[in-house]
Amino acid sequence: MMTMIGITLKGIFRDRVFQGIMVTACAFLLIPVIASLSMRQVTELSVTLSLSLISFILLLLSVFLGGTSLWKDIDRRYTFSVLGLPLSRQSYLLGRFCGTALFVMLSAAVLGAAAFAVVCYSSAIYPADRPIIWSTMALCILFDALKYILLIAVAFLLSTVSTSFFLPVFGTIAMFFAGGVAQQVHEYILSPASESISPVVRQIANGLYYLLPNFEAFDLKVNAIYGLPLPTGGLLLTLGYFFVYVTFLLSVSTAIFSRRELR
Amino acid sequence: MNAIEITDLCKQFTGKKRVRIDALKNINLQVETGEIFGFLGPNGAGKSTTIKIIMGLLRPSSGTARILGVHSGLAASRLRVGFLPENPAFFDYLSAEEYVGFVGSQFKMDDGLLKRRSEDVLKRLDLWDARRRPIRSYSKGMVQRVGLAQALVHDPDIYILDEPMSGLDPIGRALVKDIILELKNQGKCVFFSTHITDDVEKVCDRVGVIVRGALVALDRVENILKSGVEGYLVHLRLSEDVPAVFGGFEAVRRSGAISEFYVPCPAFNSFMGTVNTSGTEVVLVETRRRNLEDFFLSLVSVGRESG
Repeated sequence: MMTMIGITLKGIFRDRVFQGIMVTACAFLLIPVIASLSMRQVTELSVTLSLSLISFILLLLSVFLGGTSLWKDIDRRYTFSVLGLPLSRQSYLLGRFCGTALFVMLSAAVLGAAAFAVVCYSSAIYPADRPIIWSTMALCILFDALKYILLIAVAFLLSTVSTSFFLPVFGTIAMFFAGGVAQQVHEYILSPASESISPVVRQIANGLYYLLPNFEAFDLKVNAIYGLPLPTGGLLLTLGYFFVYVTFLLSVSTAIFSRRELR
Repeated sequence: MNAIEITDLCKQFTGKKRVRIDALKNINLQVETGEIFGFLGPNGAGKSTTIKIIMGLLRPSSGTARILGVHSGLAASRLRVGFLPENPAFFDYLSAEEYVGFVGSQFKMDDGLLKRRSEDVLKRLDLWDARRRPIRSYSKGMVQRVGLAQALVHDPDIYILDEPMSGLDPIGRALVKDIILELKNQGKCVFFSTHITDDVEKVCDRVGVIVRGALVALDRVENILKSGVEGYLVHLRLSEDVPAVFGGFEAVRRSGAISEFYVPCPAFNSFMGTVNTSGTEVVLVETRRRNLEDFFLSLVSVGRESG
């Protein structure tokens, strides 16, 4: 499995997606300029823009690398030669997943370092009203990366059942949006304001809430921007949720992929 | 223990409009260690499907396939196998050297040995100069040779090659035949599919012919060639002024004092008796037989008629 992780990383670094992302990351250089246009709260805006840019880049990575990695191998017939080796399908799939997830983590670290530099620069020129809590910002980036690793696991699951890239790519995007609002929809369903909605729809919404990944739980941007304290219990719960959900998705993915006919 | 053992193997695919297609019909086949086995069949006969089941890429609808006694669905069955898929494709962002290295590491080869073997196979397959270029820049023939290199690098006991000569120029084809013959001399087992009879005739010990998913023939190549003897071309030295008829047969060709007579098998003994009695000099006796291609074509046409 380790060699598969290495091969995956090598493939990503030599891929055009990676080069495109490097170009996108250059947008960090514009953040202090754009933030200074606000005239006030320059540092807060720098943090917001930096974290949003990181999130956007990680989203692109997750959708395009996660959604196409397995599909491309099957479509280009790489799987025939690789699975003809004494490599189990589980090891192959997990190697591919771990390689992609590791790359997302590395990207988050590099982009995080760039964000720190940008925020440092902005706060040096326009001192912030509120203190910047670097550890919170780091945790925000870490949990953002975890969110996208969870999204990659979703993309892998969709890839195992698909014969084209439509489902893995567009299905992953749909899951990202659905998972992002699942918590709000759930809270709305529980509120008195939703009494007019039919019970069937409420039941479906409730079922989807438990089925879909809850990405909102990973969002710590507000805490990072305004230097608010982080709830330790909530973070541990999210971390546990992440491990359980990813393990579940990968278990289903490997079970499906092990039975898949490679014609 | 057999190198490859296929028992009652059936495979059905569901096509468009839920139509069931019998891709393989009750295939039974054993390939021994040290044997060169040619799996012959027209396009779409089921050769690649059989190989994919042996390699665990497809699951059989019924029956089993085993490699050295290990069920083909398990990764462990491929520990002593070098596999070349049909029209192979490899991670094209890697170079040949990197890919061969990756394959060697999957077989847990020692670094030093892997380096030596990599160099040997890349040089043998004329890829040494291009070894550091990404595979995406290779021609089709070069990719095919990378496929052979990665199948050879770990020196397995069994080679499963799906159309190994496909996409190669005559020089490449000759090289592959040489390699297969070398493997034969080393006592390796080679199972390869092809639809080119000449490949089988030159290198194989045994041949299996598959038509429309059914194994219609399974025999040693020499037996097939022997059973195909139809007659003999006897070259006799005769005086140029006598008529070109001997023992009741008319010469099919005359060149100076040498006359050639085609004698069918049943009449051969009596013809030669006449030659002996007359004291005529026999210059040459050539066997006239159906070649493997004729044999193959007759099986295919029978298979298609019955199908």
